[in-house]
Amino acid sequence: MAQHLQGKVALVTGGAGGMGSHICKVFAEQGAKVVVCDTGFDVEGRAGMDPSKVQAVVDDITAGGGEAVPLAGDIADMDTAERAVATAINTYGDLDILVCAHGILRERMVFNMSEEEWDGLVRIHLKGCFAPTKFAAIHWRANRDKGNRRIIYFTSSAGVRGEAGQPNYSAAHAGKIGLSLSNAEALERYGATSNCISPSASTRMTDRELGVDQSAPAPSLSAAGSLMDPANVAPVAVFLASDAGADISGRVVGSMGGRITIWREPEWEQTLWHTEPYWDIDTLFETIPHTFELQGLGPPPPQYP
Amino acid sequence: MATKHLDGRICIITGGAGGIGSNLCRVFGEQGAKVVVADTGFDVEGRFGMDASKVEAVVQEIRDAGGEAVPFVGDVADMDTAERMVQTALDEFNGLDVLVCAHGILRERMIFNMTEDEWDGLVRAHLKGCFAPTKFASIYWRANRDGEHRRIIYFTSDAGIRGSAGQPNYSAAHAAKLGLMRSNVGALSRYGVTTNCIAPGASTRMTDRGRAVDASDPAPSLSAAGTARDPKNVAPIVAWLASDQSDTANGRIFGASGHRISLFSEPVLERYLHFDEPRIDIDKLFEVWPQTLAAGGFPRNSIRPGLV
Repeated sequence: MAQHLQGKVALVTGGAGGMGSHICKVFAEQGAKVVVCDTGFDVEGRAGMDPSKVQAVVDDITAGGGEAVPLAGDIADMDTAERAVATAINTYGDLDILVCAHGILRERMVFNMSEEEWDGLVRIHLKGCFAPTKFAAIHWRANRDKGNRRIIYFTSSAGVRGEAGQPNYSAAHAGKIGLSLSNAEALERYGATSNCISPSASTRMTDRELGVDQSAPAPSLSAAGSLMDPANVAPVAVFLASDAGADISGRVVGSMGGRITIWREPEWEQTLWHTEPYWDIDTLFETIPHTFELQGLGPPPPQYP
Repeated sequence: MATKHLDGRICIITGGAGGIGSNLCRVFGEQGAKVVVADTGFDVEGRFGMDASKVEAVVQEIRDAGGEAVPFVGDVADMDTAERMVQTALDEFNGLDVLVCAHGILRERMIFNMTEDEWDGLVRAHLKGCFAPTKFASIYWRANRDGEHRRIIYFTSDAGIRGSAGQPNYSAAHAAKLGLMRSNVGALSRYGVTTNCIAPGASTRMTDRGRAVDASDPAPSLSAAGTARDPKNVAPIVAWLASDQSDTANGRIFGASGHRISLFSEPVLERYLHFDEPRIDIDKLFEVWPQTLAAGGFPRNSIRPGLV
C-alpha cells in the first residue's frame, strides 16, 4: 500500500483527543513522523495536565511500527508553541505539516457568559492556532525552497453557521478561517497551503450536547464504525496534508462520515451603486425593499457541516 | 429633511470618535437618534492616548446641529466599562435600541514576525470589544423581551472575509466577528434583536498606514472629503440597518465602500463528495479527488470579492 505521507514530519495539536488521536495514528500509518501535542486537560480546558494521554498515543504509534514523540504542553503559550516546532525540527530534522486539532468547550448564552469563559476559550482555540503557525512559518521562511508545507486548522460548523449557546466557540472558529485565509496569502510563497476542516464526529465534546442524557453511557463510546466515528475525519486530513493537496488553499473542507464538502467563502451577491458624492439616505431607504430585500436577507438555511 | 429615519432611537456607537464612527454619530444624530458616543481616543495601534476631548468634540457637533448625544470615554473591551456604557444609555436615554461596534485598531505584521502583544492586544480590542457590550446589551434586551427592532451592527473587514497577508491578527478578529454575529442570530432573535456586519472601505487614519502611502506626504485621509473614499459614505447603509425598517436583515454582511453598497453571501456549500461507507478508504480518496472535489480547480479569485 502506498504511504501518502512518507517521510513527512507532522505536528498535531490536540493529538490525544477524540479526533486528534486518530489523525496522529493514521498519519503515522501513512508514513509521517508525528509530534503528538496535547495537555490532556478536561474538555473545558481548566484542569488536568496529563502527559500520560500523549504518551499513550505515542506508544500506540511506536507499537505499530510508526514514529512519534510526545509534547505535553499548552499550545497557546508562545514558548510552548516554539518548543513544539523545535521538537519536530530537532527530532526529525524538519516540519512539513501543522495540524491544529486542539480544542475546548465552554457553552453559555452570550447574556450569561463570563469573562473567563470568553477569554479562555478564545485564547486556547485562536491563539493556539496563531502561536504554532508563527513558529512553523519562521522555519518555512528560513527554508523556503522545500515546498509542500501544510497548515490545517480544525474549525466548526459553529464558526461557519453560528451556534446560539456558543458565542465564544462560534467566534473563535470563524476567526480560524480568517487566520487561515491570511496564511494562504502570506505563506504561499514559502510553499505553504492553509485550509480548515469543519468536522462532525462524536467525541467527549459532543457528549455534552443538549438532549444527551447525562446518566446514560456517553454517545462517543459507541461511535466506532458509525457515521460519527472520529476516525472518519482522518482521511481528508491526510489528503490535505499530502503533496496531492498542493492546489487547495484558503478553503473550508467539511468532513463527516463518508461525506466531504467544500465551502465557498462569502462573496458579493448583489451590489447597489450610486454616483453622487454621497449616498442619499432617503434614496437608499426607498431602494432597498426593491433590491436587497427581494433576494431575502435572513440567515441562510442550514446546509451540511 | 423629510423623514428622520432614526427618530427617537437610542444608539451606542463604539469607536464614535474615529474616522468612520464619528460620521456614523453625526448622521445618526441628524436622523433623530439619541447617541452614546463611545471611544477611548487612543492612537491607531490602541496603545496610548486616552483623550476625552475627541469624544466631547463629536458630541458637541451633534448638539450644535440640534441632535442629542452624550459622551462615554472608555475601553469597551473591559467588561466593567462595557457594562457602564450600556448603563449610560439606560440612564441618559432610558433604553437601548441599537449597538454599533465601530471601534478598531491596527497592528500589522507578517505572521512570522508578529509579537504576542500585537496578537493579544488586537484580538482583545476588536473581538472582546464586540462581545463585552453585546453581553450587557443582551442582558437588558432579555430582561425587556417584548421590545422589537433591536439592532447589533459589528464592523468587520474585507480582511476577515478574504484574508490579508500582513494582518493575521486583524483577519482572524474580523472573521471571528462574523462567527459571533451568527451566534447572536441564533441566540437573540427571539428578543427582537437582529445582528449584521458591515465591511467598510474608506480613507481614515487606519488606511493612511497602507504600504503604498508615502509617509512624508500629507495623509490621504485629509483629502478624502467629497470623494468616493469619504468615510461619510459608510453611514447610510448603517443607518438603514439601525432603523426599524431592517427587520428582515439578520446574520448578513454588507459591504459599504464609496458609492458601492453590497450584500455578501454567507458561506455556501460549493461541492460535495459522498462515499457509501462511513469510513473513507484513503487510497480511494486520493484516486477520486482530482475528478470530483477538485474538478475545475480551486481558483483563488473565486472566493474573494473584487476591490473597488
